[in-house]
Amino acid sequence: MKLKLDPRTKLFMIFVVSAVVMMSATTPFLLAVRIIMTIVPVVLLIIEKHFASAIRFLALYVIALVLTFRLISEESTGFLMAVLVGYCGIVVQFIPALITAWYVIRTTKIGDFVSAMEKMHVPDGIIISLAVVMRFFPTIKEEYMSISDAMKMRGIEMGGGNVAKMVEYRMIPLLFSCVNIGDELSAAAITRGLGGKVRRTSADILKMGLVDYLLVFIFSVAMIIFMVFKYVI
Amino acid sequence: MMNAVEIKNVVYKYKGGTEDSLKGVSLSVKKGETMLLCGASGSGKTSVIRLINGLIPHYYNGEVSGEVNVAGFNVAKTELFELAGVVGTVFQNPRSQFFSVDTYGEIVFGPENIGLAPDEITRRAEMVINQMDIETLMGRSLFELSGGEKQMIACASVAALLPDIILLDEPSSNLDWDAIKKLREIIKIWKEQGKTIIISEHRLWYLKDLVERVIYMDSGKIAHEWSGDKFMELTEDDTNDLKLRPTIVKEELVRIFENNTGDNYGIHLDTLETITLKGFYFSYHHKTFAIWKKPYSADDGKDLNLCIPMLTLPKGKVIGVIGKNGTGKSTFLRCICGLEKDCTGSIICDDMEYKKKNRIGFSYMVMQDVNHQLFADSVEAEIMISMKEKNEKRCHEILDSLGLLACKNTHPMALSGGQKQRVAIASAIAAGARLLLFDEPTSGLDYGHMKRVGELLRELVKAGSTVLVSTHDPEFIAECCDYLIRIDNGFLIS
Amino acid sequence: MDNEKLKAKDFITIGIFTAIWFVVEFACGMLGYIHPYIVAAYVILLPLAGAVPMMLFYTKVEKFGMLTIMSVLIAIIMFVTGMGYLGAPLIILAGLVADLIAKNGGYKSFATTVLSYSVFCLWICANYFPVIVTAESYRHSLIDGGFSTEYADSLFSVINPKTIAVLFVLCFVFGIIGAFIGKAVVKKHFEKAGIV
Repeated sequence: MKLKLDPRTKLFMIFVVSAVVMMSATTPFLLAVRIIMTIVPVVLLIIEKHFASAIRFLALYVIALVLTFRLISEESTGFLMAVLVGYCGIVVQFIPALITAWYVIRTTKIGDFVSAMEKMHVPDGIIISLAVVMRFFPTIKEEYMSISDAMKMRGIEMGGGNVAKMVEYRMIPLLFSCVNIGDELSAAAITRGLGGKVRRTSADILKMGLVDYLLVFIFSVAMIIFMVFKYVI
Repeated sequence: MMNAVEIKNVVYKYKGGTEDSLKGVSLSVKKGETMLLCGASGSGKTSVIRLINGLIPHYYNGEVSGEVNVAGFNVAKTELFELAGVVGTVFQNPRSQFFSVDTYGEIVFGPENIGLAPDEITRRAEMVINQMDIETLMGRSLFELSGGEKQMIACASVAALLPDIILLDEPSSNLDWDAIKKLREIIKIWKEQGKTIIISEHRLWYLKDLVERVIYMDSGKIAHEWSGDKFMELTEDDTNDLKLRPTIVKEELVRIFENNTGDNYGIHLDTLETITLKGFYFSYHHKTFAIWKKPYSADDGKDLNLCIPMLTLPKGKVIGVIGKNGTGKSTFLRCICGLEKDCTGSIICDDMEYKKKNRIGFSYMVMQDVNHQLFADSVEAEIMISMKEKNEKRCHEILDSLGLLACKNTHPMALSGGQKQRVAIASAIAAGARLLLFDEPTSGLDYGHMKRVGELLRELVKAGSTVLVSTHDPEFIAECCDYLIRIDNGFLIS
Repeated sequence: MDNEKLKAKDFITIGIFTAIWFVVEFACGMLGYIHPYIVAAYVILLPLAGAVPMMLFYTKVEKFGMLTIMSVLIAIIMFVTGMGYLGAPLIILAGLVADLIAKNGGYKSFATTVLSYSVFCLWICANYFPVIVTAESYRHSLIDGGFSTEYADSLFSVINPKTIAVLFVLCFVFGIIGAFIGKAVVKKHFEKAGIV
């Protein structure tokens, strides 16, 4: 089965999860809701065949969860314990957002993000810039690799023990490359009609499916439960 | 009939430039004509291309006079995005001209920009994909494609806008033999569709029988004009005089590139001193067994990206490394100079054995994009970084021998491409490297510059270094290589 | 032609520099894995390391909107990568104010550029919002788990309005220092090479 969620659904999931991780689960019921919300993206990851990351996240979450409960229920003192509780607390608190974000980034093509934003009437300028940001991450990686090779050949990775030089040797060639590539990229993009007065269209036609509505429903309910428990009761 | 392109007496100077790049160029191109622009670097070819696609004056500011009309539009008064459906441009560098991350997204990029309806975009994309036979490239990330494949996508992306006029600005610069032949096929398709095609190019052989008219530019002016057939009849002496690359590739070189069985291109290693490479095995996906990695041997052949049990290189010679893109040429060079830490193997020279880390000091690679290798804020400082004991006198000697002394205080990035290359070589010499590796040093160079690089390599050899150069430039091989080795899927063929 | 408005080329430039800025942030963030407390040093590291690309960026666009759009992009990326959106108003506000300041100097005056950059750096504090918000619940869980109240309080004495103010001040101050260094580097390399 090939599941293709609407990117807007995915963005909504992130929206809800990011909000919920900010609120603490004070009762077992809320904690349960939260765990369910964490399980959903893990299941989605499995459906999309990202088994390794799904298992890794799940294991991390379960360990952190178990540790938190074990540690908190017993008499525990001392600095080390506090740090450990702290780490686990952070993991339990934030990992739902991390898993969801990971899922969304791994399974969504940049083109889909762009069309989703076009559908949501984000201005063209912001969409163009954002698409460039996404395209440039791999470019920067490629350029950086070559630069670090060049540094290795000359034995200057450590900048002669000088931190400022270390940063300078990495950053200067990188900036030169990026500026050059940017110039050529702009020229190529403009000759293909970027920046016109007509509004951009998108080749993908986005459509919300049954699963999309279902997920939006689940996450909305979860959000409402949290809001009600947190601020009303 | 109306001309597709009409340039009337254009004079142009780039912003901050000291000299006019175009000194009164007039040119008209008929509809459906295929035209070649040739001439040395800096002769104004690219400026003419930019005049036609409107990047001059809309993107590159400068002083321009004269008039340019393209398909009835006055370029100076037309916004660039209005020209998008009329003129399409394929640029030189496949790496920097794509906007998207995936192949399909790149093809539909143009149509999306001009606001076509989604089903029309899909229709066009399918049509272009069919025409160019690039179905297999769909759904892939542009970052994992080879230069040739990227250039195919760039062509497709331009074609999806259905322009009547297509410009190609040195499109073959970064391509290997096979990719250039594919490029030829694409140009042929466009020609059959009746498009007006203008190609600015240094490599001429692949355009045989395609172009109808050839324009030769020299320092901002149109100096000669031939019909396509007449031009291809020019002898090597004629083209040499014009500082152009030959129009045909020599028979024996064609064989080298076409043929997969190597013939002996002069191998007689009798009394020469040699450098021996021993046991170079390497794979990009080396499996880790628990905590240590099993060393490779020749038996693992099939799984390896590089497998060279023993190779003897003649010392003090220029050795060409050929092979298709993606068959291990770069891996070979990277392993020799020690950039791949996992690569086993040692270099033996003068009874000294260089292993692992020492290989870095022994050999030095001049990269295809030299910009990555320049770190300092002046040429002199650049050389000094490489020297273990700072010695200003020695530094100046090196610079002088490479003709760089005059610009010792200039910022390396302000230099021309050839000068940058020489700065990189100078720092290699300063570091005491004895085996110099070059990765595609002549991509995108005109005949004169290519020849100069050849001479430079010869001088380096005379001064006692050994040079290994990976290339797919047949004319360059003819120019300076003493020996050739071919790499195919990580194996040494000849 | 209208030269005040942002054009396609400018949007691309903005995208490129936002990407660079994020890579710099990511590199600094790697240090955070060593110990979470290093995350607090963000306010010093980022304004310093990010200054070089930003000073170059100022010379490349010189139009109103460059910083605002950059801040919107930062907010969007923070949102999509699950880093939360509570900080978004702060990020965009910092971008907008920085943009206005730079505009005042016509994007050329050095003094306003320095001020603008250090205001822009204030967005970095948005990174701490999730920590501050969740600190309270963490404290509760510690006390529930049997730690003494005093102990828990001592752990969290670091997170209070005063330290947050200190973070803001640090950001601003190192923004100014960074801007000077960045400008010097731009002079040393990019102006000398003639690409600015």
